[in-house]
Amino acid sequence: MMGWRLQRLPSAKPRLAFLARAVSVILALLVAGLVTAAAGFHPFDLGAEVVSSSFGSRFGIEDLGLLLTPLIYTGLAVAVGLRIGAWNIGAEGQFNIGAFCAAGVALFVPGPVWMVLPLMVFGGALGGAAWILVPTLARAYADVSELITTLLLNFVALLLVYYVATGPWLDPSGHALATTARLPVAIPEFWGIVHWGFPVAVAMAMALAILFALTRWGYEIRISGSNPGAARYAGIPVRRHLITVMLMSGAIAGLGGVMEVAGTVGRLQGGISNNYGYLGIMVAVLARAAPLGVLASALLMAVILNGGIILQTQGLTTNTVLAVTGLILLFSAIGDELAHYRVIRTTAQRA
Amino acid sequence: MTLIRPLSRRGFLNMGAAAGLGLMLPRTGLIQPARAAGPLPAVAEEEAVIAWGYVGPTADEGWTWAHDQGRQAVQNAYPKLKTIYVESVPYSADASRIYRQFVSEGAHMVFANSNYGDFLYDVAARAPEVAFFECDGRSPMDNLGTYYVQHWYPSYVTGVAAGLLSKTGKLGYVASFPVPSVYSGTNAFLMGARSVNPSATVQTIVINSWFDPQAAAQAGTALIDNGCDLLFGIMDEAAYLQVAEQRGAKAVMWNTDIRRYGPNAYVSSIVVDFGAYYVEQVRRRLAGEWTPSQDILPMGQGVDRDAWGQSVPAEVAAQADAARDKILSGWSPFTGEIKDSKGNIRIAAGQTMTETELYNWDWSIEGVSGLDS
Repeated sequence: MMGWRLQRLPSAKPRLAFLARAVSVILALLVAGLVTAAAGFHPFDLGAEVVSSSFGSRFGIEDLGLLLTPLIYTGLAVAVGLRIGAWNIGAEGQFNIGAFCAAGVALFVPGPVWMVLPLMVFGGALGGAAWILVPTLARAYADVSELITTLLLNFVALLLVYYVATGPWLDPSGHALATTARLPVAIPEFWGIVHWGFPVAVAMAMALAILFALTRWGYEIRISGSNPGAARYAGIPVRRHLITVMLMSGAIAGLGGVMEVAGTVGRLQGGISNNYGYLGIMVAVLARAAPLGVLASALLMAVILNGGIILQTQGLTTNTVLAVTGLILLFSAIGDELAHYRVIRTTAQRA
Repeated sequence: MTLIRPLSRRGFLNMGAAAGLGLMLPRTGLIQPARAAGPLPAVAEEEAVIAWGYVGPTADEGWTWAHDQGRQAVQNAYPKLKTIYVESVPYSADASRIYRQFVSEGAHMVFANSNYGDFLYDVAARAPEVAFFECDGRSPMDNLGTYYVQHWYPSYVTGVAAGLLSKTGKLGYVASFPVPSVYSGTNAFLMGARSVNPSATVQTIVINSWFDPQAAAQAGTALIDNGCDLLFGIMDEAAYLQVAEQRGAKAVMWNTDIRRYGPNAYVSSIVVDFGAYYVEQVRRRLAGEWTPSQDILPMGQGVDRDAWGQSVPAEVAAQADAARDKILSGWSPFTGEIKDSKGNIRIAAGQTMTETELYNWDWSIEGVSGLDS
């Protein structure tokens, strides 16, 4: 007797993975198109509008660059953690703290730009790392799941930012969403409105890719992540690596916050993180925790989010846009997972 | 107090004088004269695109709903032009993206409701041919005007009713952020209440949102648990009215007539109507007459108290309306001596606050708690 069964492969073949990703995005767009057509819109016009608005003008591309930047940072933060099997759900909080520290330095440390700016960057990264310190130690020494601890600290960070922005650091000039004064020091511009946070993010992704792929440290991290028991047996200091990597993850997210507050927004305020921390989880998962993959998936996410904004101005409600965004992510996730399987023919075993 | 830009009092006086002319608001800028070299060029009606960015959903039956009524008024007055809008524009860099997208879709006017600050200015600076409006704004530009309503007067009027209706004298306020609208709202409300009950107080809870029904309901519950028997607030929806209805308390609302959510609790509302203002601004833009201005619609022409609720006794309504009539005839309740929440005299006896000071109010009067840190 002949049969068929699915076999799961530990890692997807690159070509298959790419094909699955492409098919899933097309399928998702098809479904989204059908839904919007059913709602009385012209899907092709909408699609053309999204493409031309995003890529058709220099403003569109600059906008995309600005949106892409924080997604790379938070995506990298989550991806780095995943390399050693740690889920940093707290990138949102570390992002907020990074922004908080940078704003604090910019507002209260007098001095020339060449001194204050590095201090902001350093302070923000340190703040992000400090924010994940307790979850890291709890995971490393008491085996407390970092999923919950990092997540819960997000709310503390958010409320802290709200508190300072509406209280002690408030700029009383009457903004509906209370904010601090405009920071006197900004990340310099790199290309149009895109600031230096973007090239730094890309460089960081490349450096991390090299670090993970070509160094002994990167190799040990990978082993520690995929089989901690074996790693420990092989004499790899798993705990030390875990602590280093998680702190790195927090620092990267914090750096994202620095760039956002000092490069894009210019003031510290409650909504500064704009869900980038949570979106970073999706970016990292879509990238399968590969640093260079983060660049691609962050771009995909930025195009989707930007497309969402364009669709809203075309009269689609926020909910429809969220549904379309969710569809694309859902299909991509399914496609990714399917790429791990292959169909094999089986012969029935004799009992 | 910190004034970012000194408003000219004359501008407001002119506005009062112009009241009879409906919405033909003064050309003398309230904050500073228009700096534009000249008006923006005329636009043919069939080509015009007018955009609105809303803070909440149009179905909120509150602030956003009221502005969307204004958008529909424009569409009815000029059926050939195109209006577009985006709901729930966040206070983040996404706001800039949305406003920039309006520009790239050819918008000739962009109304932002409200207070998008730098997120809006960044876009306005790069689109000099587009007329921008920031509701409750304070930083005019060559192509950006500001507009708002003198809500402090109807807040005072409803405060008088609140003072008469409250048995405990403890009034509660569900606040969004510690911003001038909230300071002037709480202060005016309490001054109205104290005009009839000198021991009245206002306790405030800040929920960090204009539209968060769950948080507003929690805040309302907490205020009633603390002994407040009458709630006011500046929410875009009806959550704390429903809480008041359930708990047998009373509530004064904002934006629209939403008494159906709590017919017994409903006292009144600070109702707003931007329709006539929007139509006039669009007319100017189409005609090639538009220059930026700073307009604050006076009570009776864009903002007022709503018809009183069914549980408000006639004599209470009459007493509050007497205060309203007095204000309409030129009297200002915002006359010293006024002390701040720390007991310092901020407005000397006999001195009347200017409209500028009322618009930019950023300190609590004695008796308001929860805003000043």
